[in-house]
Amino acid sequence: MPDQPNDLPPFVRSWPQLYAIVIGALVAEMILFYVLMRWLS
Amino acid sequence: MSGLDWGILVLTLLGIIAYGMIRSRGSQSMDDYLLAGQSLPWYHVGLSVMATQASAITFLSAPGQGFADGMRFVQFYFGLPLAMVVLSVTFVPIFHKLRVFTAYEFLENRFDTRVRTLTAGLFLLQRGLSTGLSIYAPAIILSTILGWNIYWTNLIMGGIVLVYSVTGGTKAISYTHLQQMLVVTFAMVLAGYLTVKMLPEGVGFVDALHVAGKAGRMNLIDLKFDPSSRYNIWSGLIGGFFLQLSYFGTDQSQVGRYLTGQSIGQSRLGLLMNGLLKVPMQFLIVLVGVLVFVFYQFNPAPAFFNTRETELLKQSPYAKEYQLAEIKHQNLAGQRQRAVVDMQAAIQTNDEAGQETAATTLRETDEALKAVKTSIVDLVKKNNPAADTNDGNYVFLRFVLDYLPHGIIGLLIAVIFSASMGSIASAYSSLASTTVVDVYKRLIRPEDSDAHYLQASRWATIGWGIFCIFVAQFANRLGSMIEAVNILGSLFYGVILGVFVVAFYVKSIGGRATFWATLLAEVFVVLSWYFDLTAFLWLNAIGCLLVVLFAWIFQRVMGETDEVRN
Repeated sequence: MPDQPNDLPPFVRSWPQLYAIVIGALVAEMILFYVLMRWLS
Repeated sequence: MSGLDWGILVLTLLGIIAYGMIRSRGSQSMDDYLLAGQSLPWYHVGLSVMATQASAITFLSAPGQGFADGMRFVQFYFGLPLAMVVLSVTFVPIFHKLRVFTAYEFLENRFDTRVRTLTAGLFLLQRGLSTGLSIYAPAIILSTILGWNIYWTNLIMGGIVLVYSVTGGTKAISYTHLQQMLVVTFAMVLAGYLTVKMLPEGVGFVDALHVAGKAGRMNLIDLKFDPSSRYNIWSGLIGGFFLQLSYFGTDQSQVGRYLTGQSIGQSRLGLLMNGLLKVPMQFLIVLVGVLVFVFYQFNPAPAFFNTRETELLKQSPYAKEYQLAEIKHQNLAGQRQRAVVDMQAAIQTNDEAGQETAATTLRETDEALKAVKTSIVDLVKKNNPAADTNDGNYVFLRFVLDYLPHGIIGLLIAVIFSASMGSIASAYSSLASTTVVDVYKRLIRPEDSDAHYLQASRWATIGWGIFCIFVAQFANRLGSMIEAVNILGSLFYGVILGVFVVAFYVKSIGGRATFWATLLAEVFVVLSWYFDLTAFLWLNAIGCLLVVLFAWIFQRVMGETDEVRN
C-alpha cells in the first residue's frame, strides 16, 4: 500500500509536522490539566 | 428497567448491528473478511482502534475510579500519543509494505517459522482466555445489579457479536465500531450533563469542579516520581508508553484494526487520531465519575454500591456488624454534606478561610468513610468469599439506575453492551485471523483456494466465539475480574513485545536465539508470577527485557550457526 501525499490533513505539510502536533497537543493537555488542578485545589 | 429502557436498549443494539451488516454486504474474499479489503478511511481506522480498546469495563470502572480516587487515572493514558507516533513511524509502514494479515507474519520474514508460530501461540492463549474474561466482567456487574441470569448474559453478550462477526467479517466489525463510538460518546456527555443538572440549585458545573477540587478529586497531575504510586505523570508517560506500544504494536486485535486502512497514510492518520482523542476521552469518562462524586456529596450515597452483597449481609450472622457500619456511614455522610454546603457558601462569598476549614472537614470525613467501607468489604468477604468487592465498578451503574430518568437508563445499558461488543468483536476477528493465517494456512494446509480460507476463517471465528463464551461461563471461579485480565495480559504481553523489539531494533540477532530466548523468558515470567516475586504490572517490562537479554546472550553463544535475516 503506497503512502499517498494527499493522505495528510489540510495545512499539514509533512508527517513529522503531524507527529509534532500530536505530541504538542499532549504537552498542552498536561499544562492545561496542571493549571486546572492548581486553580481548583 | 422499564419497558421504555428495554425498548431503547434493544433498538440501539439492533440498529448498530443492522447497520454494520448492511454496510458489509456483498461477496467476500479472505482479504475482505479479515482486513476489510484494506479499504477503510482514516476515521474508520481511528474509531475502530478506539472502540477496540474501550471495553465495557472502561465505562463501568473509569467513572468508579473518578468517584473514589479522583482524576489522576487520566495520567495512565499520557504514554498513548507517544506510542501512536512510534507505531506510525515504524510498525505501520513495515506491516503495510509486507502486506501481512497478522503481526506475526512479519516475524517469519525477520526470523523464521518457529518464532512466528510460538508468538502467535502465546497471543492465541492470552487473547482467547482474556476475551472470555472480557465477556464475563461486564456481564457479572449487569447481572448483579439488574438481577439477570449470569449465564444468559454471557451467552447474549458473546453470541450477538459472534453473529455479525461471522456474517460480515471485519467490515461489519468496523462499521459497528463507528456507530458504537458515536452512541457511547453521546451517552457519556448526556450522563455528565444530567448529573450537573441534578445538583442542588445554585450549584453549577464550575461550582461542582471547585467542590471536587477541594475534596482532592481534581488531582490531574502528580509530578512526584514514586514507583509505588500507580498513577503519576512518570508512570503514565514511561510505563504507559511501553504498555500501549506492546498492546497496539503486537496484539493482533489492534494490528488487525489499523491494517484495514486503505494506505499507510490512512492507517497512520487513524492511529494519530486515537493519539489526539484518547486523553480527552478518558478525561471526560473519569470526569463523569467525579461529577457523580459531587452529586453524592449533596445526596445520600449507599455505604456499599454492590447492593446485592449488602442484602445478603443483612440476612447473615454479620447483620449486626453491618448495621453498625451503616449507621457510622450515615453519620459521616451527614457531616460531609454539611461541610460541602459550608464550602459552597464560602466559595460564593470568596471566603478563603471558610473554604479551607470546610475542605479539611471534607477530607477528614472522606478518609473516615473510606475506613468504614473497608470494614464493610471485610464483612462482605467473610460472608461471601466469592463476592466481587471492587465497589468502584458498581458506582456508576448504581447511580444511573437510582437517579437517571427512564430511557436514559436503557441508553446507558446499551453503551455498556456496545463497548463490550466492540472489543469482543475485534478479539474474535484477531483470534480467527491468527489461527487461519499463522497456523492453518502456514502449517496445516498451505495450498488451497481463497474461498477455502474464507470458509476456514468463518469457522475459526465460530470456534473461538464458543471457546470465549465457555471461558466466561467458568470465570466466576477466578476472583477479581479486572485483576485476572491484567495478570493474564502481563504474563504474555512483555514477552511478545520483547520479540518485536528484537525484530525491529536488534538486527544482529537471529531466529534460533530469539526462539529459545522467548521460551526461557516466558518460563521466568510465569515463575515470577507464581512465586509472587514482583507486582504483576512489572512483568510486562521484565518479560520484554528478558527476551532481549537472553536473545543477545544466545546469539553470542550460538554465533554464526544462527542465521540472521534483516
